[in-house]
Amino acid sequence: MARSLVTPRLRRRTAIGALAAGATGLTSGCLRRIRALTGWQSPDQLSLRIKTLPADADPYALPLARRIAGWFGEAGIDADVLPMAEQSLLREVLLTNEFDLFVTRTPAEYRHPDALYSLLHSRFVTTPGWQNPFGYTNLEVDELLERQRRTGDDRRRATVEDLQRRVIETQPFTVLGFADELRAARTDRFTNWQLVDLRAPMGYLALRRSGDLEDGGKGSDEAGHLRVVSTDSRPTKNLNPLAVEFRSGSVLTGLLYDSLGYRAREGAIRPWLADSWSFTMEGGGPSLELQLRDGLAWHDGESLTADDVAFTYAFLADTSLDPDRDGDSEADGTDPIPAPRFQGRISLVADVTAVDDRTVEFRFVDANPAVVGRALTVPILPRHVWRERTGRASVTGVDIWAATEALVTDNVPPVGSGPLAFADNTPNEELILEAFDDHFLADGPVPGLPESVQGGPAFDRMTLGVVGTDATAVDMVDADSADVTATPLGAGVVPKIARSTALDLVAGQSDAFYLLGYNTRRTPLTNPRFRTALARIIDRRTLASTVFEGYARPAASPLQGTGWVPSDLQWRDGGRNPVHPFPGTDGELDVSRARDLFREAGYRYAKGELLDE
Amino acid sequence: MRRILIDLVLQLVAVVAVTLLVAVLLVVGPTRLGGSVDRIKSNLRTIAPTALVLATVLVINGVVRDVGVEMSWIIGVNVTGLILSIEGGFVGGVQSVASPPLTAYFSLIYVFGYAFLLTFPLVIYLLHDDVRPLHETVVAYGVNYGVGVVCYVLFVAYGPRNAIPDLVEPLLYTNWPQSQLLVRQVNANTNVLPSLHTSLSVTVALLAYRFRNVYPRWPPIAAWLAASVAVSTMYLGIHWGIDVLGGIALAALSVHVSGRVETDAVRDRVGDVGRHVRG
Repeated sequence: MARSLVTPRLRRRTAIGALAAGATGLTSGCLRRIRALTGWQSPDQLSLRIKTLPADADPYALPLARRIAGWFGEAGIDADVLPMAEQSLLREVLLTNEFDLFVTRTPAEYRHPDALYSLLHSRFVTTPGWQNPFGYTNLEVDELLERQRRTGDDRRRATVEDLQRRVIETQPFTVLGFADELRAARTDRFTNWQLVDLRAPMGYLALRRSGDLEDGGKGSDEAGHLRVVSTDSRPTKNLNPLAVEFRSGSVLTGLLYDSLGYRAREGAIRPWLADSWSFTMEGGGPSLELQLRDGLAWHDGESLTADDVAFTYAFLADTSLDPDRDGDSEADGTDPIPAPRFQGRISLVADVTAVDDRTVEFRFVDANPAVVGRALTVPILPRHVWRERTGRASVTGVDIWAATEALVTDNVPPVGSGPLAFADNTPNEELILEAFDDHFLADGPVPGLPESVQGGPAFDRMTLGVVGTDATAVDMVDADSADVTATPLGAGVVPKIARSTALDLVAGQSDAFYLLGYNTRRTPLTNPRFRTALARIIDRRTLASTVFEGYARPAASPLQGTGWVPSDLQWRDGGRNPVHPFPGTDGELDVSRARDLFREAGYRYAKGELLDE
Repeated sequence: MRRILIDLVLQLVAVVAVTLLVAVLLVVGPTRLGGSVDRIKSNLRTIAPTALVLATVLVINGVVRDVGVEMSWIIGVNVTGLILSIEGGFVGGVQSVASPPLTAYFSLIYVFGYAFLLTFPLVIYLLHDDVRPLHETVVAYGVNYGVGVVCYVLFVAYGPRNAIPDLVEPLLYTNWPQSQLLVRQVNANTNVLPSLHTSLSVTVALLAYRFRNVYPRWPPIAAWLAASVAVSTMYLGIHWGIDVLGGIALAALSVHVSGRVETDAVRDRVGDVGRHVRG
């Protein structure tokens, strides 16, 4: 960053200036004094920049960042906030690591301990995507992350609890709160809103048409049309499930692409594309024999076979599928190019073989079967489409060394096998999906799957329209131009929803938390004591009551609410931070106590400014 | 959603058309409308090449709205922080006078008033014998859009409603959410420096003053509307004070340029009348 480049240069200039001044009255005593002083230049004020999203893209991120920058400012840090487009933010944070701090909502994928593996393990420091974007390296945490994969039951629980304590102690990121998912929905066409979970593809499948429509209330073509309105335009331009900066969740790509298994509500992984599977424990790790459902097809009519499954796992592990690199041998000295979004899950898989058209054999790394099931939730990709995308990505003929075509293609139109198929798109305006008639759900009741998804979607067509702000999105639903808001809304529009008779407020507890991420590659954020001091002066209880207007729960642990959090890390309702109590009351920072925190961490102040040592 | 957008556009067109008609009668007067068809034809012929340039700039502008936003994230400088460090919560101060009638007034000005202000000079100058006012207006619009596009690629900046939401309310969209559908069609939320709303409005006012002898009733109206538009961009939380200053500077530049650019065709036709008007 410019700042870190400028500072040493300035210091050198100061030294040269001092020398020049000294030259007028050059004495040996003066020179000696200059020499003695060169190690003691006066440091500048420490400055930190928080990158985040503009208010249009996220209702809370920017106010959170500004409030935090306010506390940092009171503690003597020169903190500023820079809003940037979602795609650019994710690019700078997840791909190029050009940041000091960032505030954003995480994808809703960190609700089980093993998800922390790819988020925090040091083997992922150079990996793009939500793989350790913090550059966090802690050998003890690495060991705990590995141990929770291998151990079972009580020992695993103890390991996960220890893991959380170590992580919270060292703060690679600070959990700012779990914001409720707020949506506006109208009930005259579809019902069930309060029961379904629209953060997962299954939620859309579980919607039901409202009673009067089934009796032919409105024209049937209109009745079968689900209209969602979103403030995120990215899905209208890019539907690549591997694209890091275009995906914040997997809802839309999850409707387009099936996976072998799905995560059931109670947390276990159950068969989806698979008809059945059985685990066996032998040798190094568990293995699994899996049968695919009969008659599976891709949206383009090709049939989906075990070959596609084996291809997908090999491809996600190395999107270049370099034929020379057989196994571990490095034919040309170039390492594989994995798909960043799925690296945590793929790292569980040792080998996948297609036995026949419908049978696949998995061998996993040494891990607990309860953990490896996660690997079955990656999207299955059609071999005949993606094997053409193994070449190096190029811009006007120049190859980009680190990426394959697969990682950067917009993948429009996508060919998946999911319950919805791509129909049409207008970039920045609209995306239209249609029910896929050859999906296995469409063939009648499927034993073993939940009642709510039987028969497939209750609509023939789904339109995603894009608007610029939350208020406009709510207005579109109110004006009967949409049935529901797809992107979660901010608390600011709740009164507007409440005032309208046509609208239902759908509120659900969220699995995704807002975080302040630290770039631990940059001083002074390399220092866990410094990060902890920063975390201390963020009053998360005040954030929950002011920025989130009560629609959020503060938390210390990213696993809060999962049953994995030990009592010493639990943030009780209305209580204080169990680990890092805020030095002050009700958001009012006690400045002298805050400064003491940084002094204890080894930092100094001059004229109330925290110095960049 | 498209239905609502189309309704909005039709509403805008209808309102502006009616206002134009009334305003033409008031400002130009029925007596000066005689024989206008020939004048319009001849004026259109004269400014055709310039108008073509303006049309090209507008098309480029439309393309840049999509492509340029992507491009500006790659090559542009994010100046949001810089602007904020200079002017701080100034726009929040502007909003401290907010009241429902004022919000309604400025919302209408921002959408309808602005559309009227931009189209009206084209209509009345088209009806005038001397082609120079029309020609200068077209040139000035072209300069506004041309420079604006370049700035939008070079500078990435979010407006106050997007950068300091704790101090500034997005008044336009909280009170009239549907207008966002319309605004979205013509502008991206990172294109704030300079304010083209301000620059084009001030351009119209400056040209109205330059050609005040042509339609003496127009300059005071134009000045009032232009000032209202400039204030509305800040009052509604869309633009920074610096964007508005940038807009005024751009207006001054474009009016200056438009006075210097004369095509041969215009020069041939201007003759004595033009010199008389320029005073």
